[in-house]
Amino acid sequence: MIISLLIGLGVALGGFTFQTALGGVNRKIVARLQKRVGPRWYQEFIDIFKLLSKRSVSHGWIFDFGVIMALGGIIGTAMFMPVTSNILAFPSFDNFFIFVYLLAVGMLGMAMSASGSGNPLASIGVMRALTTMVAYEIPFMIVVLTIIKLAGTSSVSGIAEFQQMAGNNWFMIALPLGFVVAVLSLMGMLGKKPFETYIAPAEIASGPMVEYGGKQLGMLFIMHEITVFIEVSLFVHLFLGGAENIWMFAIKYFLVYAGLNLVSNVNGRFKIDQVVVFFYKWPLAMAVVQAIIAIYLGWVI
Amino acid sequence: MANIELLILITLSLGLLSYVLYHFSPRLSSALTILGSFFVFGSVLYHGYIGSFDVSSTLLPYVSFSSSALSIFFAVIITFTYAMVSLFNPYFLKTHKAGNVHNLLFLSTLAFVLGVLFTNHFMTMFFFFEAVVWTSLFMIPLKGSKSAAIMYYRFSAFGSFALLGAIFLLKANSGTFLITESLAVVDGAHQLVIFILLVVAGMAKLGAFPFHIWLPEVLGKAPDHTSALFSGGLEKLGAFIIVFALVRVAPVGATFAAIDLAWSRYAVAILGALTIVFGTLMAIRQDDAKKLLAYSSMSNGGYMLVAFSLMNSISVMGGLYHVLAHALASVAAFLAIAAVARQTNTTKMSELGGMIHKMPITYMVYLIAIISMAGIPPMGGFISKWLIFQAVINKGLIFVAVAVFFGSVGSFLYVFRPLAALFLGQELPQYKKTLKEAPSLMLLAMLILSVLNIFTGVFPTPILKVINTVIVEMGMNEVVLTTFTIEGFNGLLHPGLIALVFMVGVFVAFVIFISLKKSKKVGLMDTYTAGNFIYTEELMHYSVDFYAPLERLYEKYIDIARNVYRSLDHKIKEFARLIKYFIFTYKPEITAFWVVLILILFLWGDIA
Repeated sequence: MIISLLIGLGVALGGFTFQTALGGVNRKIVARLQKRVGPRWYQEFIDIFKLLSKRSVSHGWIFDFGVIMALGGIIGTAMFMPVTSNILAFPSFDNFFIFVYLLAVGMLGMAMSASGSGNPLASIGVMRALTTMVAYEIPFMIVVLTIIKLAGTSSVSGIAEFQQMAGNNWFMIALPLGFVVAVLSLMGMLGKKPFETYIAPAEIASGPMVEYGGKQLGMLFIMHEITVFIEVSLFVHLFLGGAENIWMFAIKYFLVYAGLNLVSNVNGRFKIDQVVVFFYKWPLAMAVVQAIIAIYLGWVI
Repeated sequence: MANIELLILITLSLGLLSYVLYHFSPRLSSALTILGSFFVFGSVLYHGYIGSFDVSSTLLPYVSFSSSALSIFFAVIITFTYAMVSLFNPYFLKTHKAGNVHNLLFLSTLAFVLGVLFTNHFMTMFFFFEAVVWTSLFMIPLKGSKSAAIMYYRFSAFGSFALLGAIFLLKANSGTFLITESLAVVDGAHQLVIFILLVVAGMAKLGAFPFHIWLPEVLGKAPDHTSALFSGGLEKLGAFIIVFALVRVAPVGATFAAIDLAWSRYAVAILGALTIVFGTLMAIRQDDAKKLLAYSSMSNGGYMLVAFSLMNSISVMGGLYHVLAHALASVAAFLAIAAVARQTNTTKMSELGGMIHKMPITYMVYLIAIISMAGIPPMGGFISKWLIFQAVINKGLIFVAVAVFFGSVGSFLYVFRPLAALFLGQELPQYKKTLKEAPSLMLLAMLILSVLNIFTGVFPTPILKVINTVIVEMGMNEVVLTTFTIEGFNGLLHPGLIALVFMVGVFVAFVIFISLKKSKKVGLMDTYTAGNFIYTEELMHYSVDFYAPLERLYEKYIDIARNVYRSLDHKIKEFARLIKYFIFTYKPEITAFWVVLILILFLWGDIA
């Protein structure tokens, strides 16, 4: 058990390091897209460690407690995440729903802490984040329902292995409509444009994060990086057939993350109600159509 | 107390005694109520667990009892709700219009609920059901709202008539009023009608769409702690009836081939899905915290409907566990709100803020309750929702799944709102001086509930094993359980492991937090305001129209169900006036005419 917990913590730490480095690389890529030079690839590490070392202010115990709960929940979620079929802390317990719902503990902690700061701008940011969540989550879960039904297991590594078996395509190909929906939902989850209304830089004073500084902000940065790691890895395992070894995983992860970043950077920003209407129009319809085609009619490529 | 009849009679007489005692000492009367409620709960739990109930009946005429695993399961949940709410009673009686009858009504409903759950005769059950309605009815207007009580009575009466119709048809079908025997042989032409009537009766009691109108009215306007009783206790009687209709009666009608489910059950599942969606959407836009929780009760009732209609061990286990998890969570949430309302005299979120600074324990109780209610691990609500998801996915019910997932994510939205607007945010000046933490008895009830909310999420298998006996009793296969894990259709769940990993994560985060430099503490008004100077707390508190952008998308459509009922109401009144005009007039000659005509009609066959 101790070994498993240590592996889990290793996955969380590795995921954080990998994603933070990749985040830096992506800042570089985006800079080139905009004909800038861009920061160095390890800039994100510098930012986080600078914040952690600074003296900050606190708005009461719930402000701090929420941050601890947020980071703790996310670390806990990351500990369940399979990287390859072999690097997995708790075999057969990496249930899909654990990721969705344990992630929510972290989100709740952050929302609580932000509201506890007493700043209305933070509460507005939280409201927008939750509204965005109710929009992107449902189409995504319908697509995952289809996947679980086809694969016969809700274990994330099990779904990845199912795609690696001979005769099965990756779900990216097997469920093309569902894949499109999942890409859109992933952009919502990661808070990429056009669904980045809850952060909305230059509009609502950086949303939920407005009151943070110092170690609290640093910890929330760590939390954000691990969240991105969880969401993108989930996507890799569910749609891109997982990974046999760690290099395949890194490549697939990089492609997904960089691709989304490029798409995101040529988009504008939706208003919050437009986000909801958007997700309940085409993505939801496509997800339902995909589910009907795959489950009731059995047409899977 | 092993004898059910004696238990019921003693509870009733304790109720009368508490009524008499109230006139000498309200405090003593409340103490008696608490003792009585705990006595009933203890008896039900102890004798239910070791299976030593005495069902003989010697004192009451025409009444007979039997005890089954299902009735014991429901009885434990409901009597526990009563015991917890009873601890709140002493603090609320003074605010009531007629505080002296409250304890009497409280204990009488408890006694009659036991009657409903343990009788083996349908007519007795109907009698006890009506008794529950008639006694609980008068608990609603104690805070001053008669309209809610009338609404409750109308929908309850509708449900009761449906139940009575079903009972008569069952009797015609099987020739007996005994519950188990008559439910076993439902067949023939009456089958569909019986099914529909039973489902309607259950849904009316549960407050499911389209019979949901009364639920927010009653839970919103009843005395603050009584709302917890309705949500965690009396509403669950609806689920009890639903189990009769959906699990104990054989499926009715043709089967929907693609999902291997009878159409009639699929229709109920769709109604459950609609209940979830409507409950969630309405809960999101409430300003009154109690009404918000009321709509969330409605939405959770939808989960029970979906679960019971799917007809396999996993889903029924999920449904039964949801009854328990939701009772614990919603009672805790309602009681936490009641603890706040006792001091502030309002439950409107737009008038409250910053309660956490004076009531931190109440806040933690509410937090744990909503984590469970939103189905987030490591609380009880996650286990039941996981089981229900398993069943829904396994059947491939896509449209129901949309609603189930929507309700689940939507619940984050509405449960967060009281958290943010009522407990967190700016500390409003009008509450800064006067507010105190809740008194010890109330804290005791809330802490017990919180511990149970966590326990049901971390180590659910002992309770699930009990539910397994209920499932086996109803003729289904056991769900595979080990000491720590639950096996669903497509995966294993290890709730203890999730809790452990979560604790490890929090520990790591805590170590990071304390090993860094200490923060400087600043006030809540010392925040970033984009260069404006703001000195009043209200202006810095975001609580009105919290989800305005989302609400704007559907606020046009929210009154449809209510308007349908209103126009139905109007039509019925119109029809009644017509009848009154032609038949019950003041003119004697017209009355005489009708009397003669009706007499002729009655005597027609005899004369000819």
